[in-house]
Amino acid sequence: MKTNLTLICFFFSFALAAQNKIPNVLLKTLEGKTISSKSTYNKKGLTIYSFWATWCVPCINELDAINKDFDKWKSETNVKLIAISTDDARTKRRVRPLVNGKKWGFDILVDENQTFKRALNINGIPHTIVTRGSQIIYRKIGFKPGEEEDLYNFILENSSIKN
Amino acid sequence: MIKVNKLTFISLFLFSSFCLNSQILDDLTASFDSYSSYYLDDSKTGDFNFKNRFRSNNYLNLKSNINYYWSFELQIESYLPKALLNFSPNFKETGISAFNIQYNKDNLNLALGNFYEQFGSGMILRSWEDKDLGINNSIRGLNAKYTINNNINLTTLFGNQKKGFEYSKGFIIGFDTEIDISKIFTNDNVFITGFSYVGRNDKESSSKLYNQMTNLFSSRLDFSSSSFYSSLELIHKSKDPITLFGSLSDTFIKKGSALLYNAGIIKNGLGFDFTFRRLENMSIFSEREAYGNIYSESIVNYLPALTKQHDYSLANLYVYSSQPNVSFQSKNFTKAGEIGVQADLYYFLEKESFFGGKYGTNIAINGSLWNNLDGDFDFNNQDYNVNLFGFGEKYFSELSFEIRKKWSPKLDNIFLYVNQYYNKRLVEETTDEVKTNIFILESTFKINENKSLRLELQHLSTKNDMKNWSALVLEYNLSSAVSLYLSDMYNYQSPKDENRIHYYNVGGSFNKGVNRYALNYGRQRGGLICNGGICRYVPESTGFSFTVNTSFF
Repeated sequence: MKTNLTLICFFFSFALAAQNKIPNVLLKTLEGKTISSKSTYNKKGLTIYSFWATWCVPCINELDAINKDFDKWKSETNVKLIAISTDDARTKRRVRPLVNGKKWGFDILVDENQTFKRALNINGIPHTIVTRGSQIIYRKIGFKPGEEEDLYNFILENSSIKN
Repeated sequence: MIKVNKLTFISLFLFSSFCLNSQILDDLTASFDSYSSYYLDDSKTGDFNFKNRFRSNNYLNLKSNINYYWSFELQIESYLPKALLNFSPNFKETGISAFNIQYNKDNLNLALGNFYEQFGSGMILRSWEDKDLGINNSIRGLNAKYTINNNINLTTLFGNQKKGFEYSKGFIIGFDTEIDISKIFTNDNVFITGFSYVGRNDKESSSKLYNQMTNLFSSRLDFSSSSFYSSLELIHKSKDPITLFGSLSDTFIKKGSALLYNAGIIKNGLGFDFTFRRLENMSIFSEREAYGNIYSESIVNYLPALTKQHDYSLANLYVYSSQPNVSFQSKNFTKAGEIGVQADLYYFLEKESFFGGKYGTNIAINGSLWNNLDGDFDFNNQDYNVNLFGFGEKYFSELSFEIRKKWSPKLDNIFLYVNQYYNKRLVEETTDEVKTNIFILESTFKINENKSLRLELQHLSTKNDMKNWSALVLEYNLSSAVSLYLSDMYNYQSPKDENRIHYYNVGGSFNKGVNRYALNYGRQRGGLICNGGICRYVPESTGFSFTVNTSFF
């Protein structure tokens, strides 16, 4: 037991200090074309990656909540939002019809075998990441009504800060 | 007592010292997940009759770049003092569950060690991790990907599949190519074609009557335009012996096949999706002896049930799991696979329209029908001959209707109606058929910026099995960090009084950034627990559970 805990603490102690970037993995567009994650973020500005799935009610609530004012977010901060669908073969067919019905005003990419999600060490969805360039500056798990305002405030505060 | 293998410990120690002295630290990310339970005796759900009332599953995952091209991943898992109930006995003590080194340069990606991969929709090969179900069938070996001109993706792999901390004896080899042929055509439509091969070599169960190698071939074609899409995938599986009553038959040796067709239309707020799938003798495990194991260990391909994935407890009581196998239990239980369809219709009623109201309304309708293959089943001589498009006895059907409506900035509603038919007799090879009608109403009240209340009311009515159920969930979000909930499911009409049980749960969670802590006390219903279309049985239990999810970056 002791050995175990020591090991875990040891790893944590240096993990805490670490910073991270968007890893390089392959994703798909809704049409099935392959795209590298490296080409997805705003090179200088902010990018929001929101990990979701068609069966995840809080995820859809979050994206709906953001979508409501997303035009304002974009014009004020120039932020880019990419909703990463983690639906696997069971549910991925619902992604396009659902997105179309929702009329979301942001990009959707597909991470069918959860390679991107795993590479970012994401343990559950909804999970939201904000990057400046490729650098991750914000992460959050879960969504409760009203939290979109916290995200908006974070984006607003950070959008004026240059690299 | 926990044992960390000496070699494991020394290599970890050396490895972490190495990390401390390099730039690895700068790029390190980690995640830690811990799921613990303390099981109690319960006069209703029964005493806890196993060793170790306290059980805990722990996962630590580390990833980092070594330099610009090289990176690594390490996952350590600890099951102390034992794994949670219903996890495979192969998950025990502490050990390295995955380790890989990756090389990533331009169009080339190499992974040596444990990796996850999927070909096409996964019907021929998928390795993935699902901690809730205890599935981690990563392959340990080599995975190489190469992209040519952004149009051709080539993937090759070989290795052994993980089961617990061990590896299956069978060997897997695979090759996949995906070619984007859209450029041949002058319009903006997307055409992608793909071919895959997977071979499974199982020396342990070889016989003169069949090959130790089983081969699977797949071809697929995807088409996509701005308002229409369709895809077709065909799979052929070479001859493989059928498992009967837990042992491989020397005489009952059959080929397998799969056909998947999907098409959809999307236009002006309307979305329609249709899927047809036929599976015949399509299960494949990296070692034949793993066939039909309840933990889904050594599973090579992914054949999920194609039904609506529900988020509500009563809609998940009678949930269908796909039937890809040949099963000859008795004259009345002869199965060779499944055939069926699923359709979804989504419609968005515009804001400010008559039905849309101020905020618009979302409507979703889903229907699915799954049957046994139709044909001649010869139980005495152990053989069958099935029709290509024949529908045999029904396994499952479902029709659901969902409306999501926002009434005001403070109030949201979801209404769901589900009608199900579940042939428990044929699917689970027991008795009974179940017809249900389920009504669910979910309301979310936003009290102020950070406080909200969510209420779920559910009712399931059926004349079969355990009769009617009702359920309630009340969730109070005190702030963006703290959430409390209370839920109950009650089979209030169960024929036997002692079987009428309140499956109550109370708990709360604390979320802050990437940290989540959750505490729960209550009763777990026994039966089929499903996630992502894969199901397994769990016994009933009562107790406390504690969850930690955290990441570092």
